[in-house]
Amino acid sequence: MSENNDGHDDGHHVNYRGIYIALLILFLISVAGPEIGERMGLPWLTLVTAFGIAIVKARLVINNFMHLAWEKRIMKWVLATSVILMFLMVAGVSPDVMNHEGNNWENLAAKEAVQRGLAEAAGYSNEEGEAAEEAEVVVAAGFSAATSYGQICATCHGAEGAGDGIAGAGLDPAPANFTDLAFWNDPIRTDNVRERVLTVIRDGGPAIGASALMAPWGALYTDDQLEEMVDFVLSFRPNP
Amino acid sequence: MAHARPIATTRSATGIPTPRLAIWWIVASEVVIFGGLLGVYLMHRIGHPEWAEAASHTQTWLGAINTFVLLTSSFTAVLAHQAAEKGKGKEAAKLLGFTILGAMMFLMIKSYEWYGEIAAGYTITANTFWSFYYTAAGLHALHVIAGAIIMGFIAVDAYRGRELHRVEIIGIYWHFVDVVWIFLFPLLYIAK
Repeated sequence: MSENNDGHDDGHHVNYRGIYIALLILFLISVAGPEIGERMGLPWLTLVTAFGIAIVKARLVINNFMHLAWEKRIMKWVLATSVILMFLMVAGVSPDVMNHEGNNWENLAAKEAVQRGLAEAAGYSNEEGEAAEEAEVVVAAGFSAATSYGQICATCHGAEGAGDGIAGAGLDPAPANFTDLAFWNDPIRTDNVRERVLTVIRDGGPAIGASALMAPWGALYTDDQLEEMVDFVLSFRPNP
Repeated sequence: MAHARPIATTRSATGIPTPRLAIWWIVASEVVIFGGLLGVYLMHRIGHPEWAEAASHTQTWLGAINTFVLLTSSFTAVLAHQAAEKGKGKEAAKLLGFTILGAMMFLMIKSYEWYGEIAAGYTITANTFWSFYYTAAGLHALHVIAGAIIMGFIAVDAYRGRELHRVEIIGIYWHFVDVVWIFLFPLLYIAK
């Protein structure tokens, strides 16, 4: 042993094997408990077995493997200070992070993210984008471009494609009016118009140099569905 | 030791040997790093019910196997410490070797798991749940890598009967890495 061990209290004898077996049993309970809880519809069982047991396991490791139980008291205080500071941080910001509205404020982005997330059974999308109030209904099964347009695009672009949707009223620049010939004659979409419209629906306005208020919706549609959406939007185009 | 040691390694105002004091300081700062990250994750998780869907794609069984691997590696690390206290350097080195093996198994399982997830399109930018998932598990994996490398050096020294007190120091760090995973496992894999 080196001379650095002089402060160490060697008087403790831990049954490491016993602690290890206890940890393994607790581990099995922490896996089995939530499985049973989920099947029987007992969320409290999941919470207790997953997180309650995690705390017990952590205590066993910290006290017996890290030997904190036999460590000088000052070290316990230093560690306790870290834990307290962490909880202070969490307690301080939790009202803002966990709530999405208060008396004088509303976190629209978070609310929309929740709605969009719930709508997407497939599960992954960007945590950005604008109006998505009615996005719940877009699922691959029973897809119809007209229905999807009515539930998502019409909020801003209007049911008849005239750019007069309720959610679009306050936007600057205003949502595109698909019934306006001037819109289709804009140089950014005159060449290969089909491709341009598809790009905007999939990747958002900035993808072709148009407004960033047009969010990317690619995550909601398959390639075939995107083509159908393009057909539907093009159906608003007036004959020159 | 024939030559003089630097004062910082021999003086101890707190009564705790300096290397152990230092590792506890590291652990205390890590508590804030991981605690802050996991606290923020937990708050978002509660505020975003839609994350349940994303969380249901994590592979509980791989996470469970990794929990077992880390618990076992912690056990061999503490046995290494016990051997070092009795002056059995070779025994300590062997047990540290088992711990490093555990670290490598953990990382291999983790790589396999991430490979599957990334191939399925669940990348770090897929949504905020996956961002947290890769950040938290990734930061933890970096700690596993760092610990395994340092443990390799300490095991070589221990094998030659040198600096045996370091076996305890790396052990404290390793158990902390284990404790972090004890909390990461239910947070990322169990709570669906």
